[in-house]
Amino acid sequence: MDFTWNEEQRAFRDKLVAFLDKTLPEDWEEFSKHGPASPALTAYAAQFCREIAGEGMLFPHWPKEHGGEGLSPWHQQILAEVMWEVGEPRGGQYMNVNWIGPTLMAYGTEAQKAKYLPQIARGEMLWCQGFSEPNSGSDLASLRTRAELVDGQYRINGQKIWTSYAGLADTCFLLTRTSDDRKKGITILLVPMDTPGITVRQIPSLIGEGDIHEVFFDDVMVPLSARFGEEGQAWEIISYSLKNERLGIPRYQLARAALDRAVNTLKTRSRFQREAVRIEAARCAALTEAARIACYAIVQKRVDGLAVGPEASSARFAVVQAERAVCEFVAEFLPEALAGGSAFLQMHHQRGIVAGIASGAAEIQLNIIASDVLELPREPR
Amino acid sequence: MDLSINEDQTQVLDAIDGLTRPYASVPVHDVAFALTSDELDAEIAMSGFYDVLAIEELGAVTAAMVVEKLGRLPFALEAGASSLVRPLVDAELPRPWCLVEEGNLDAPVRFLKPGATVLVVGASGVRSFTATAEHVRDAGDEVLFAYPMAYLAGLPDGMTSHDVPVATVLAAWRTAAAAEAAGLLAGALASVVTYVSERKQFGRPLATFQALRHRLAEAQVLVNGVYWLALKAAGTGDAGDAAMALLHAQDAAKRVNYDFHQMLGAMGMTLEHPLHLWTYRLKALSAELGGRGEQGLAAAAALWG
Ligand SMILES: Cc1cc2nc3c(=O)[nH]c(=O)nc-3n(C[C@H](O)[C@H](O)[C@H](O)COP(=O)(O)OP(=O)(O)OC[C@H]3O[C@@H](n4cnc5c(N)ncnc54)[C@H](O)[C@@H]3O)c2cc1C
Repeated sequence: MDFTWNEEQRAFRDKLVAFLDKTLPEDWEEFSKHGPASPALTAYAAQFCREIAGEGMLFPHWPKEHGGEGLSPWHQQILAEVMWEVGEPRGGQYMNVNWIGPTLMAYGTEAQKAKYLPQIARGEMLWCQGFSEPNSGSDLASLRTRAELVDGQYRINGQKIWTSYAGLADTCFLLTRTSDDRKKGITILLVPMDTPGITVRQIPSLIGEGDIHEVFFDDVMVPLSARFGEEGQAWEIISYSLKNERLGIPRYQLARAALDRAVNTLKTRSRFQREAVRIEAARCAALTEAARIACYAIVQKRVDGLAVGPEASSARFAVVQAERAVCEFVAEFLPEALAGGSAFLQMHHQRGIVAGIASGAAEIQLNIIASDVLELPREPR
Repeated sequence: MDLSINEDQTQVLDAIDGLTRPYASVPVHDVAFALTSDELDAEIAMSGFYDVLAIEELGAVTAAMVVEKLGRLPFALEAGASSLVRPLVDAELPRPWCLVEEGNLDAPVRFLKPGATVLVVGASGVRSFTATAEHVRDAGDEVLFAYPMAYLAGLPDGMTSHDVPVATVLAAWRTAAAAEAAGLLAGALASVVTYVSERKQFGRPLATFQALRHRLAEAQVLVNGVYWLALKAAGTGDAGDAAMALLHAQDAAKRVNYDFHQMLGAMGMTLEHPLHLWTYRLKALSAELGGRGEQGLAAAAALWG
């Protein structure tokens, strides 16, 4: 075993950091306080992604035939860490390069690949993910937004909620119900967000401006060619996508950066001598590093070409624990940071609190750990 | 020993219930980090509910009950310092009251604004001044706590010294914060209980999942503990009791704060649901007087020297 990056990986990391140093605007920290899906940050992300795409670093982990460099999952992790550490200047694009692109490669028609992949590769597209509904959150398979075939077109009626980026996205990766079969009745449609009949409403939130939305579909018509995969194939496809992106985002990296920043500030204010503070800081560091290594163990499996199983849920929950601890540390020992005192720590706090909910609630991960890692007998139904 | 609520206390609490009923829920379109109401504050002040400590039949325990009760409201009220600290120092000084540690002037101060009484507590004793615009630095509109907050721009040269021991004020401060936290915890818990009882997933109310039930039940135990420790601290005026009350309150806040939002799913991330009006005040109280570590040290010193 080796617990350090090798020379080539370090060079890759350094190159990315140097690119950020050169590219990010001077007031980036203040700026990044805008929610990740705010108009300001989205506009900046579009510009940033064109620049990073120009350097060949938007999706180095994509296969060569699709314009990537076929680099290993370690590189993908390093890239994600470097971006996330400064507050994700790629905005919503991480979603495109991490799972929408690869899913298109695996399941898209030639026409869909030709239409979307080059735009994604140039960093020019913003997607949103229309999965959750008001009555279908953790129980996603109960979703009810209907798509009916009418004269060779799909007519969509229903409502999505919590949709990130919906206000500015070009296209929605939309889950619809085409028959009553719980999982096999769900179909994916790729819906242009400017289609008549779509209404988007922003939801004011604790996590910053513009992040989450309600999206209403009233007799929205899309052609048959908007269907992604077969009717009823959605569950299989999104299971594949999730596997591709099981770990989600490397929140441990930002949490650790926030912790280091908080400790440094406490030091300059002579408030880091107290034992209670030091012990708690160390506890937080242990949690972020435990989360990191658990995630790395999953990446290793991908590098080795092994199937990633329920242990990914364990890594994800470790990340939730770390995020929670760091958010609480800052609130308890450096409250001024959350009252106008530090744009960076405020940005971290606002994003950190969603760790246990966004992209699947933590309790569902815990259920997976209990059933599939510990193999506990299930609760009677 | 007598832990029953007497008739006078029942009357006070009932009267507060009546007075605050119109403020028990959140105005539908009022979505912000902090919710305040000058009218509500004025009504409570006028009815004398911030002044019960000095009334012989009522006293400090009733004052703590009042603070707890008001903490359950979604509105942020400066009740703790006014009800439990002000009467020990000088009840004639204007409200709101802001409590500041002499050794920690960097901290954001709850309710600070021109006209407020600022009480500075620390090595130089107990001193106060009335804030004017020059003492107040705005915290901007991005404060992530559900209190109105501002920073002290500096201390004036001439402050009024008060002839009251620092230890007495610290104990009252801790008691006030603990009583307020007890109310905030109760308000937050009630709000989560309602949500998970109504929200259904997998064809059943979320509240039927044992994974949530036990955490909520445990929260109830903590909230109950904080409530009683705060009342006891008010009753005894003892430094150890006060430190334990605030320690337990800050521990409980840490245990439940994130968890309560978690149980609401994405709804817990919105400003439309009022949960943050309690939890984001608890976050601020978790930093009060140095946080859990300092309360622990103070409690240990009081208990065992
Ligand atoms: C910032 C943010 C961005 C998001 N972006 C998107 C997006 O772009 N697209 C999209 O489709 N969705 C998005 N979501 C929604 C997200 O996927 C859902 O919030 C998540 O799936 C949980 O669903 P819910 O919010 O309805 O919570 P619920 O399912 O109502 O759950 C509430 C609580 O009950 C618990 N619970 C539920 N079932 C069980 C059980 N069986 N046992 C024990 N506990 C249980 C949950 O774990 C949770 O703690 C986003 C959410 C957030 C917070």
